Amino acid sequence: MYLQSMMTKILVFAIFAISLDLIWGYTGLSSLGHACFFGVAGYTTAILMNHFGATTFLQTAPWSILIATVFAAAFGAIALRVSGLYFLMVTLALGQALFSLAWEWFHLTGGAFGLTIPALNLGIPGFTCTTITLYYLVFVVFIICFLLLRLIVRSPFGHVLQGIRGNESRMRALGYNTWLYKYVAFIIAGFFAGIGGVFFIHWNMLISPYQLGMLTSTYAVLCVILGGPGTLIGPVIGAVVVIGIEYIASLYFPERWPLILGIIFVISVMFIRGGIYPRLNSLWQKLKKRYSYGNTEG
Amino acid sequence: METLRVEGLTKNFGGVTALNNVSFTVETGERLAIIGPNGAGKTTLFNLLNGQEIPTSGRIYFFGQDITTVPTYSRAHLGQGRSFQLTTLFLKLTVLHNILLAIQGTGAPRYQLLRPISAYKHLYNKAQELLESVALWEKREELVQSLSYGEQRRLEISLSIASEPKLLLLDEPSSGLTAAESADIVTMIANLGSDITVALVAHDMDLVFGMAKRIMVFHYGEIIADGTPEEIQANARVKEIYMGTEEEA
Repeated sequence: MYLQSMMTKILVFAIFAISLDLIWGYTGLSSLGHACFFGVAGYTTAILMNHFGATTFLQTAPWSILIATVFAAAFGAIALRVSGLYFLMVTLALGQALFSLAWEWFHLTGGAFGLTIPALNLGIPGFTCTTITLYYLVFVVFIICFLLLRLIVRSPFGHVLQGIRGNESRMRALGYNTWLYKYVAFIIAGFFAGIGGVFFIHWNMLISPYQLGMLTSTYAVLCVILGGPGTLIGPVIGAVVVIGIEYIASLYFPERWPLILGIIFVISVMFIRGGIYPRLNSLWQKLKKRYSYGNTEG
Repeated sequence: METLRVEGLTKNFGGVTALNNVSFTVETGERLAIIGPNGAGKTTLFNLLNGQEIPTSGRIYFFGQDITTVPTYSRAHLGQGRSFQLTTLFLKLTVLHNILLAIQGTGAPRYQLLRPISAYKHLYNKAQELLESVALWEKREELVQSLSYGEQRRLEISLSIASEPKLLLLDEPSSGLTAAESADIVTMIANLGSDITVALVAHDMDLVFGMAKRIMVFHYGEIIADGTPEEIQANARVKEIYMGTEEEA
């Protein structure tokens, strides 16, 4: 039962992490405010259920993802006026501004207490949802998101994003309106983060300002950096490792979790640069070479 | 036909005047070399022509259209191609990926989101043609950072001609190359069609006299001589301030 719940959480954060990777890993945009869109989607579901009488998944999920995407379009228009370190600072500031807003606007958001929602209801008569239903639903959605993003990064559009990461001014000289590409990528990333946020609230049944702020953004960043930015499998591995360690830590020393998170961060930056997946991949290539050429090398 | 017309172009950086009231025209098909000592304003001129910078005053016309403030990417669509002095390739991408980006920059599928790039066969055919012409097709799957410097320079130039530009701006195409590699560049330029206008900035005199039919000499942001290679070689002022200093050095 607990394992099922943990698997659901891993899949939710995997969706969130691969959405960040589209801009962080593929486009080279370092955002520290990606949780905005994750949290806004969760809050939209909670607000619709608490204040507007919505009861089912189908009544809330489309709106939640739409609102998250609209926020991405608005925040992207602001943050993409600058680049590099300034982009990082602006996204961080926007995230913290939303955090404060959710904290202060008690009437709408429940302030620091957040908002709770009842267990998942798909709105299909005679069908009761359990945590297992949620798990399978998230699993299917994760697969769809993963395949869609894979299609995007392999498309001409996705190739352009990687070119922008490499050398933006050269891309402009080659005829690309690079601003537009970054903006569209930012919105797509917000859309997928919104999908993650929708399933987060159905898994957690509670949303609080922390889901909008830097702490949650950092989770996604850690999954991406640890797993391998610029690959889609990497952030998924990152989510498995981060949520897995969090699970173990919460069993034995829950109050030390932020410290452990910090240590993983330092280790991943110092010793596994490039991320776990690219490292595993190059190891695999070496092994394959050794076995296929083994007899000729003597 | 007139490809490029520049009128009273001036660029100030703070108190420094990098270009001072420069005017000239370039006819279609010309092979123009721009020379001058360091700091003469040659690269600044290229940045203004290609839109990396906007002039303080003056106007630039490209096939009669005022492009003074048009963004760089639109100039690529109008028919400008540019190579850079410092190699500006996508080092962590493969050779093939680099050339595909260059071909696609002015092509239709560049906004396509939901179809793999491998579905566009015509891009690959064009990539093969371009890479074979610079002897890099065999290395198409290698990362650009693993290529030799000479190979990177050849790829740099193929990127700027991939969009089939009408005006090619080459900034120091042969810098750091051996004499043999430099000769390859001369051949590459000679093989371009006569409808393509080529302007290049260079210090390499073998390259300049090997390809240019017209030479402009810049000094402190002004044109001090403009003429055929023979005229430039005979020009006393050029000898004094440009060739002269080089012989002393």
